[in-house]
Order: sequence, then structure tokens, then C-alpha cells
Amino acid sequence: MFSSVKTMSLLGLSASVVTVEADISDGLPVFDMVGYLANEVKEARERVRTALKNSGLSLPAKRITVNLSPGDIKKSGTSFDLAVALALLASLEIIPAEGLEKSMVFGELSLTGQVRPVPGILPMVIEAGRYGIKNCIVPFDNAAEGSVVEGVNVTGVKTLNEAIGYMKGELLCPQGKKENNVCETNANEKADVDFSDVNGQETVKRAMEIAAAGMHNILIIGPPGSGKTMLAKRLPTILPSLSIQECMEITKIYSISGKLEKGQGLIRKRPFVNPHHTVTAQALAGGGSIPRPGECSLAHKGVLFLDELPEFSGNTLEILRQPMEDREVHISRTQGNFTFPSDFLLCAAMNPCKCGYYPDLNKCTCSASDVKKYLSKISGPLLDRIDICAEASRIKYSELKRCDKAEDSETIRERVKKAAMIQNERYAGTGIRFNSELSASDLEKYCVLGKKEEELMKNAYDMLSLSARVYHRILKVARTIADLEGSDRINVSHLSEAIAFKSIDRRYWHG
Amino acid sequence: MDENIRYISRMDRDYPEKLKNIPDPPAGIYVKGRLPDDKKKSVAIVGARNCSQYGKSIAEYFASSLAAAGVQIISGLARGIDGAAQSAAVKAGGSTFGVLGCGVNVVYPKCNADIYKETLKTGGIISEVSNDEPPLKAHFPLRNRIIVGLCDILLVIEARERSGTGITVRNALEQGKDVFAVPGRLTDSLSAGCNRLIAQGAGIALNPETVLLALSCNDDKEPVICPSCKRKYDSREIGYEKITLVGTEKVVYSLLDLYPKSLDEILMNSDLTLSETLEALFKLMMKGAVSECAKNHYVRKI
Repeated sequence: MFSSVKTMSLLGLSASVVTVEADISDGLPVFDMVGYLANEVKEARERVRTALKNSGLSLPAKRITVNLSPGDIKKSGTSFDLAVALALLASLEIIPAEGLEKSMVFGELSLTGQVRPVPGILPMVIEAGRYGIKNCIVPFDNAAEGSVVEGVNVTGVKTLNEAIGYMKGELLCPQGKKENNVCETNANEKADVDFSDVNGQETVKRAMEIAAAGMHNILIIGPPGSGKTMLAKRLPTILPSLSIQECMEITKIYSISGKLEKGQGLIRKRPFVNPHHTVTAQALAGGGSIPRPGECSLAHKGVLFLDELPEFSGNTLEILRQPMEDREVHISRTQGNFTFPSDFLLCAAMNPCKCGYYPDLNKCTCSASDVKKYLSKISGPLLDRIDICAEASRIKYSELKRCDKAEDSETIRERVKKAAMIQNERYAGTGIRFNSELSASDLEKYCVLGKKEEELMKNAYDMLSLSARVYHRILKVARTIADLEGSDRINVSHLSEAIAFKSIDRRYWHG
Repeated sequence: MDENIRYISRMDRDYPEKLKNIPDPPAGIYVKGRLPDDKKKSVAIVGARNCSQYGKSIAEYFASSLAAAGVQIISGLARGIDGAAQSAAVKAGGSTFGVLGCGVNVVYPKCNADIYKETLKTGGIISEVSNDEPPLKAHFPLRNRIIVGLCDILLVIEARERSGTGITVRNALEQGKDVFAVPGRLTDSLSAGCNRLIAQGAGIALNPETVLLALSCNDDKEPVICPSCKRKYDSREIGYEKITLVGTEKVVYSLLDLYPKSLDEILMNSDLTLSETLEALFKLMMKGAVSECAKNHYVRKI
């Protein structure tokens, strides 16, 4: 007898419907699976047969054919096991075929009949909802993740027998509990780190506040052990809260990468991604024959932290240029073109020189050319995309042991939120969200300077031999500082602060 | 061969008299521009390449004062002290001569291309090796002996205890030239070499006047000492004119030093807010009283 079950196949961030057709007919006892299958899908045959046996059911000695259609897209992953098993059981009339038509089934089987979690449940359930499916059967551990989607009933099953019982209507499986999906302003989960943990380093904290408010990329320079990493880890805690839409985007990416924890629903925390400096270009941008999101997509809506920036290979860093510009990564493979979102805030940290102590010449053992060489490892184009540069100095004992608590993330975030709101209003309808996205022509419109300010910038331009590009970046950062203060106009103090945080220019690094 | 470049052998009439008298005079030298005037006094100013902002300022102070008094400044056109001294000498209207460890057509280090050009305006570039020879390690000790050979007094501004400057000093002793050193703090590794020289009997360069007096001790007539050589080292006097500081600028300036201070240190020692401090620092920079020597590290300028 013939029967069919619907499931999904993942391709990048999108999913497409796959129908698992099973037919059991007379003939030599064979179990065949066809439909352009990757190896792990072909192996489903053994898993399904053994899982059925260990669940107390056995396949008859007949000719069994399973087809995954459409036959022209490559199916990979292990999420087809449960669908294959249920299709077979429907053909054997162990479970009713009617219920199956309105459902979609995902899950991997173990030999004992357990249903194992699979990656990509969220995008698959979203797509199922769009396809008009009202019911999804997913592994129990993925139930929380799947039930995020509105309008789809998600049922989590632990074993094959549970799934059978559910299909027969004998057993009521626990539905994934519906999370509160209302867009709350405080949707952020309480972070386990806070800015109040860090004493001192007021300069860097201020620079980070500005970076967060205008989504400016930031570079922190400082000697080893000055707390660069510690500060960077706290950067996500002062970014504005996530909207539900953003949470979905993040969760989708983590879902297809299989990085969601067991039983985790929506991710409500901004990600902090911290790849080691040996990371390859493919790992950073995303890669593989069927591409998976790389580190810069995993940092979507969060912070991508590159510690020891000069130690990264040049090629790897160059890869970042396109995602930073487009906020997406495009990857082309024979399977098709894939696009992963990658809208992150780049936070980089580095030592001022190889030994790390420049400009303390008593401690620094580098020669002048060593210092230059170290800095020149970072390419100009990348440096061009960094708006703010701050210096973390060695922390003093008195600061380390200070009793009064430093400002906490919540207070800083309130200010950042206000600045973000001002920007929202100002740029309504222009497609710009943050000051960092302003183009040179926008600057004339939004960063108008008074006479006094104009004169200051002219002096600074000549005295500090600024380039046009650095000049524009100073204006953008000054705009953010003014927004943080709630000021309409950019004034002298905003400009001088922006100049102090201007990014390093290689020519003027030494003297 | 470039018309501006001359090869002068030891037999040549133009061959510097001073070079003839050293233990192993070069067989000939390549000169681009002019040769030092044998009748005029010369001082060689040398020191660390990776020098501090303070060292740079001191080098400029000595070089400009000496150059204004008509002394020729000889140096190696290197990074740090050498370059600072030579460009200051040109600015003061004096003549300066760069002795290279590579051919005279090769600009090394590249970052000193400006100084290279400036030097040619009033002085010259000298080398023992042929025109397009690259800067090889072995050339530099040989170059140092020419620097010393061309000068009457060797002035060391900043040097670590074991450094290239040590070789230059040894050359000076072999050639019987006077060595002067600028004293520094005991804790500064960049001054350790200078302090050691003083301990071993080098002259103490308290100000340009000391050097000028030493230059003319064998002469009959009194040295011409211009007012700038007598000028006391006062960092409140920036350049040659007084700069007026107001309000927060005074507070911030008083917190600064001739040694780099980080923004955090400045903030910790004052009650000013970050934006007030930065505004004051920026104004001080515009006035030329302060400079940013590395990212968010500030020093007083002299």
C-alpha cells in the first residue's frame, strides 16, 4: 500500500517541502530509498528498520520503496528518519493515514527508537506554517524552539512509540508550551555579565556607550591584561533590546547551525561571538558544500569580537568587508546561492605593539619599525570601517580595589536607548537606522555645524592632517555623542570628544 | 651619474680635512648637495631611533639653538633623534648633513623622505657606499665613524645602555672627539646610556650654551652665543612665545608631563568629566602646548 508524509529539507536559511512516499508491495524483500539523497539520508534505512524493531514492530518481508520528492533537490541531514518511519507505518496501516496529511514530521531516530533533536526546526516550522500546515511533530528537545511560531501546533515526542500513540490518537503528547510572543521592551534576558563588574577604564566604557548608541564599529587598543576582553563581553548588555522579529532572526540562524541548547525557545539575548584568531575565512563568513552560517552570521544583531586583531590572517579579515557593508553574507555553491544575515557590531581589540607596552618606552622592547609593522597588519579598508578607537590603559591597584560600584549596564542602556530613539525619529522613512550608516551626502544634511564648530574642524583638519574619510567619521561619531546628550546641534565638546576617539591613522601612529 | 652627486676621493682637494685625520679614513665619499664647511664648527647629534617624545623635543631644542648659532649639525638621518635634530636644524635656518648607511640615492628609512629633501636644501647627503646600495647592516658601524669624523663634538640625546649609539661613542673616543650627553632620570631606560656616559666622564649637556662653550675653548675669540642658547628649559614657554591657557586648560595642562600620560590617568587625577577633559586637551593640542604621542596618550610639548 502507498502512503505519504510531509517534511522539510533545509537549504541555507530557507526550507522547502519534501514529501516522503512509501510503498510496500509484493516481491523480493528489499528496502530501497531513492530521491537524490545524501549519505546520511540513505543511512536512515538502517536506523528506521532497527528503531522499528526495537519499538516492537517489524517490517514485513516485502518490497519496500521510499521516495523523497521532489527528486531534483539534494536532501541532506538526519531530520527525515521519523517521517520515513511514520510513512512506512501508514503503509502498513498501523497508524491512520488521514492524520498524517495535515501534519509535518521532523526528527532523527536512534536505534532504540528514541527521537533525537535536529537542527533547523524553527525555519522549518515557520515554512510549514506558511505552507498551511497546522500541526508539526518534532523531537521533544526541539519543541520549545518550534512552538515559537504563531498558528502552528507543535508536538514534541520522545520516542517512536510516543509518535505512533499520538498519531493513533491514543496518547496526548505534551505540546510545546507557547511562549509569550508579545513584543516587550524588556525582552532581553538578564545577562550574566554587567558593566558594573569592571572598575575604572572610564574612557573605554564611554567609547563603548557611543559605539552602542550609533552602532559604530570600535577598536580597543591596550596592553595585555588591561581588561579589553572583559569590557567587550559586556558590550551586548548595553545594546538596545531585541524586537521579536530580531529574536526570530537570531534563533533561526542558531537553529540551522544546531547551536540551540536543549529545550531552548527563542533567543532573547544579543549574541556575543568571539572567534579565535586562527579562524579561517570560511568559518568566519560561512562555508561548506551546503553552506552553514559562519561566525559573522552567528553574531547577527549582536557583537562580533575579534581579540588580537593583528594576529588574524589578512585574508580572513578581508572577508569581513562585504558583510560589514551589506549586512549579509552571500555564498555561491553548486546547490545555489545562499544569503545569511550578518548585521553585527564589530568590536576589535589589539595590543599597541608586539610586546604590548608601547608607548611606555621603559617597558616596551619593540623598535620603532616593529611597532609600525605590527599595526600595518591591519588593512586600510578594514580600518576604514572602524569609527571609534579607544585606549585601555593598565589599571591601577587603587582603581581595582575601589569600593564604589561602577555604573551598571541598565543605566547605560537607558541612555543608549534614548539616543537610538532620537535617531529613529530623525531618519524615519530614509532607510537609515543609525548614525554609522550615514553617507557623505547625508552628513551635510544631518550634521550641520555652527560657525564656531566649523572653525574648530578646520583647525583640526589642518593641525592633525586628517583625511576626508576620517573627517566624515568624526562627524558621524559627534552626531551620536550629541544624540546621547539629547542635543539637536553638534557643539564643540561633542566634536572634541569625537576627535579624541578618532580611529588610528597609520601614518601618524608614531609621533 | 646624477649631476648633483660627486665622488670625492682622499686625494681630492675638497676631501674634508677632518676626515683625513681619523684612523681609517674612507677612500672616497659620495656627496649629494654640499659638503660640510671645514672652517665652521660641527656637532653630531645622535640617539635612539625609538625615542620618547621628550627625547625628540630635547633633540629639536639643541639642534635648533646650535644651528641658529651657526653650528653645522651632522647626523644619520635615522628615525627618532637623528631625524628630529636634522629637521629642527633646517627649520632654524642652519645647515645639516646626513651621513647614510646606504647609497645617497636611497631614502632610508622611507618615513624620513621629507627630512631627506629638507637636508638637501641647506646641506648635503654623504655616504661611503655607491649610489644605489641598499641599507645593509654592515654599513652602519662604518657610517657612524664618518658621522663622528665630520664633527667636533658628539652629542648623545637619548640612548639605551646597549645600543648602536655605543658604537658611535667608541668611534668618538678612538678619534679623540669630545662626547656630551644629556642627563636623564635614573628610571628611564632610554636615558641609561646617557647617564652611563656621564659617569664615564662625558660632558654634561645642560643646555646648548655648554656645548657652544666647549666648541670654542681652543679658539681665541669668544663664541657667539645667541639668546636662544641661553634659554632655560621651561616647558611653560612653548616655542619662543608664551601661550596663554585658560580655565580647564590650565588644570589639564598641570596634570600633564613630559612623559606620556594616558587619558585615564588624567581623568583619575582631576574632577573634570571626560568631555571637559577632552575639550581642554583638544584646545591645548590646537595651541601647540600638548601632543598626542600614541592613541589617547598625551604629553607636554616643549
